Amino acid sequence: MAVNGTRPQHDVALLACGRDAATVWERAVAGRTSAHDRSCPHCQAVADDQRLLATAVAALVEEAVEPPPSLTERVMGAVLAELRPSHYLPLPTRHGHARIDRVTAAGVLRHAVAQMSALRVRSCQIHLIEPSRSGDTSGDDASAESALGSPMVRIDISVTARFGADLLSATARVRQMILAAAEDLLGLPVATVDVEVVDVFEDPARRPH
Amino acid sequence: MTDASTVEGSDTVVAAEELDDLTLVVRAQEGDTRAFEILVRRHQRPLYRLAVRLLDNRSDAEDALQEAFVAAWRRLGGFRGEATFSSWMYRIVTNRCLKLLRRRRPVTTLEDLGDPPGPDGASPEHSAERQDRAAALQRALQNLSIDQRACWILRELHGLSYEDIAAIVGASPDAVRGRLHRARCNLAEVMTPWR
Repeated sequence: MAVNGTRPQHDVALLACGRDAATVWERAVAGRTSAHDRSCPHCQAVADDQRLLATAVAALVEEAVEPPPSLTERVMGAVLAELRPSHYLPLPTRHGHARIDRVTAAGVLRHAVAQMSALRVRSCQIHLIEPSRSGDTSGDDASAESALGSPMVRIDISVTARFGADLLSATARVRQMILAAAEDLLGLPVATVDVEVVDVFEDPARRPH
Repeated sequence: MTDASTVEGSDTVVAAEELDDLTLVVRAQEGDTRAFEILVRRHQRPLYRLAVRLLDNRSDAEDALQEAFVAAWRRLGGFRGEATFSSWMYRIVTNRCLKLLRRRRPVTTLEDLGDPPGPDGASPEHSAERQDRAAALQRALQNLSIDQRACWILRELHGLSYEDIAAIVGASPDAVRGRLHRARCNLAEVMTPWR
């Protein structure tokens, strides 16, 4: 294509007819050529180049380039090999010690709540509330000790909610389910469950047709 | 233990694979390796194609992609959701490939470019011609400057916007537009025998 200069701000050549070569190319891609584009030999040369490359690009895109099935396995093998050290939560027992990995415990809680179609759990964090050593029993933290002497936990979860769901009852129900799962399935004494709705999602199955 | 892969609701079944990227990222940030595995499976295909086109070598692309995903796992704590996970991964993979390319050889110019394979008159079959055309373009791509190649592949093969490409390669949208146009001109010139 014939060019006669560049526009410094774009660093793109101007055609001999004064048109910006990149703009002419993009118009050709979009199929929005002007009357000038169709009659000007310089602009037509750009459009010819665009068609030439478009055919080759289509051929390149058609080529089967698939990641090997072993790739995910290799990635996850490397990820698992350098897992961060586990953090455990003590479980109340009458005899000996028991503890549970926090990630595992969070997975149990997410699974319990996953039965709700109106909400999806995004974050689930379980925090130990250390019993007060000062003897002051006025605050929540100070009294956060179960009957068996184990520290209680605070659970923070964030959820995304289905658009149109009744958020008040949904968040109340999710709190109830988290409490039940933590205490019945894990045996963790729970002081508080904080629920935060951080986003909404559309359920394609419920979208009106 | 991690989340079960499928869960049943009262009137719907939601697979963990159907969760949005951000939810999976947050879960992975909190140590859920299963969530990260779903992200890897979901995004590996376009990222692998990107690495193959940039590096022109499937084995190198596989290694680069594996390293990129492991780097992403390590840096996941710094992901704040300003960009999509996809854009973030495109940036990591592109930068890793560009680093490999710069280490692999000096930047070549059009002067280094040999004659591209032209249309083969002895193989008139359409599919064979398309394969040859694709091979010629792939070869021509390797002779672009690294920066032009990255911009062209991200735009023409992955359909990214100038703004997204600019964020990935660390340049302004105008600079991306310039590189892309020069890449197109260079490729069109090399592909002239296929006209």
